[in-house]
Amino acid sequence: MSKKCNLGLIIYEIRNLSGNLFVHFFGVIFPIVMSMIISSQATKEVPESMKQEVVTAIVITMSLIIPMAIMLMGYAANYSNEIEKNVPLRMRLFGYNEKSIILAKLIAQLIFLTVAMAVYAVAEVSLLDLQKPALLSLIILVVSLYLVAIIFFMLAHGVANILKKFGPTYVVTMSLYFLFMMLCGMMGIQSDQLPKPIKTIAFTLPMTYISNEYIDFWQGQSYNFMPVIQSFIFLGALAGIILFVSFYKNRRKIA
Amino acid sequence: MLVTIENLKVQYGKQTALSITEPIVIEEGDRIGVIGSNGAGKSTLVKSILGLTSYEGVISTHLIPEQMAAHMQFNEYVSTMAVKHIMETLLNTKIKNNQKLQELISYFEFEGCLGKKYQALSGGQKQRFTIIMVMMQNAPLTFYDEVTSGLDFETRQKLMEKLVDWYKGKDNALVVVSHYYEELEQLADKILILEKGEVVDFCTQKDLFQKYCGNAIVILDNTIENRELTKEFKRLDAPNHLIAISCTDGKEEEKLISLLIEKNVNFKRSNNDIEIMSINAKKRFQEEKGGMTNE
Repeated sequence: MSKKCNLGLIIYEIRNLSGNLFVHFFGVIFPIVMSMIISSQATKEVPESMKQEVVTAIVITMSLIIPMAIMLMGYAANYSNEIEKNVPLRMRLFGYNEKSIILAKLIAQLIFLTVAMAVYAVAEVSLLDLQKPALLSLIILVVSLYLVAIIFFMLAHGVANILKKFGPTYVVTMSLYFLFMMLCGMMGIQSDQLPKPIKTIAFTLPMTYISNEYIDFWQGQSYNFMPVIQSFIFLGALAGIILFVSFYKNRRKIA
Repeated sequence: MLVTIENLKVQYGKQTALSITEPIVIEEGDRIGVIGSNGAGKSTLVKSILGLTSYEGVISTHLIPEQMAAHMQFNEYVSTMAVKHIMETLLNTKIKNNQKLQELISYFEFEGCLGKKYQALSGGQKQRFTIIMVMMQNAPLTFYDEVTSGLDFETRQKLMEKLVDWYKGKDNALVVVSHYYEELEQLADKILILEKGEVVDFCTQKDLFQKYCGNAIVILDNTIENRELTKEFKRLDAPNHLIAISCTDGKEEEKLISLLIEKNVNFKRSNNDIEIMSINAKKRFQEEKGGMTNE
């Protein structure tokens, strides 16, 4: 009988993930440090009345680093390393089908993401002066971050599964990481300021809306969510196709 | 029967890695030794049966993938945690609650390694780690692909003794790929000989020996004196440093052995030497293939 995703497998994946020091630094420490540095620099030239809003916007933007570092880069690096050593194959030979493995990995990653987001929230609230959010706005941000994380997970798993080597996978996911940062206004240039064709591409990504526009409804203001929902569907579908192709490529052929 | 292979063809790019034209059947309780040089298609065969590589043809089985256990040529695990956790996860059990697993760990003297990370294990410990888990699967069909490769002679011997002993009287079918003929002599009752992706022969060890070597063979050092002494007898192909003489019946064998004793020549007698048998099987296969090509 095929082994299903179970608590033991999830604990194994949490141990496996925790053994990767990359995600501890880039997924937990780095976003906090970045938000502190950028906040202190950005508020120097901002009127006192605007400071709280600017800092809050920066904190929302920098929260995107958590799923990007943990799922897109950290997970892709870890999993491609496993593929290179044929570890998933050994798991399959011991009766864990790919769906169980991927589910356990996803749950473990989401648990780690939750801890990282909690640490980030505590650090930001304790160290910075932030606007108090409307409850629904906060929930929308958290749900958006989880959705983005799941999409990045699918993307990272699919890319690693197709490329099968640590080097090429790392190049692709690292390039995507910086591309997303650039397009979504995390590298100092607002998405609105990008040249038109690039701006069009940027606004197909949910991260662009989170980074640039979530501050607009942070305290309960009205907001048109349709473009955000469409961007989630677009990126989710793209990641889903890549994941599906990777499953198909790696299927077992037994008559 | 467990697995039937018919008209199998595996290609890597333009190169044919394996081509099986005559049906091969793996039955319950079979102990099949697979031999062949590098690139003969041994591991490709294992991967094909396990459904891990694309192929043309038919491999039919009523077994689901989980009913096949495999010790592959390279078995790697994550190095982010102690092997104990990997073992418990892969087998979906707890060592402290599983008597059979405790017995196996003790049988392979692995207790001291449980707290180590995989990368910290020695070659022999790594092999034992996978073997313990493969044995715990207790699958109807189990593959051991080069299970002792890279190990020193003593470790190899000990490991094989334990494997042979463990499977004695059990009805699991085993497919054992090895470069070491003496290991297959201990474990296998059927032999599949592969050469450059083609099947040279597949039959019981006894029948193949009869077919290519006769009733028994006598092996002695390849010296000028020994060559002169045995020139009347039928010589088989053998490694350069040896002479292998085929004995078709007891009388011929008696005559040869009496002569060797009389001349005080050291020799070894065998009726299951897989190395000499496979060398001669491959030779005949090449001759027949050459003949067919010429025709």
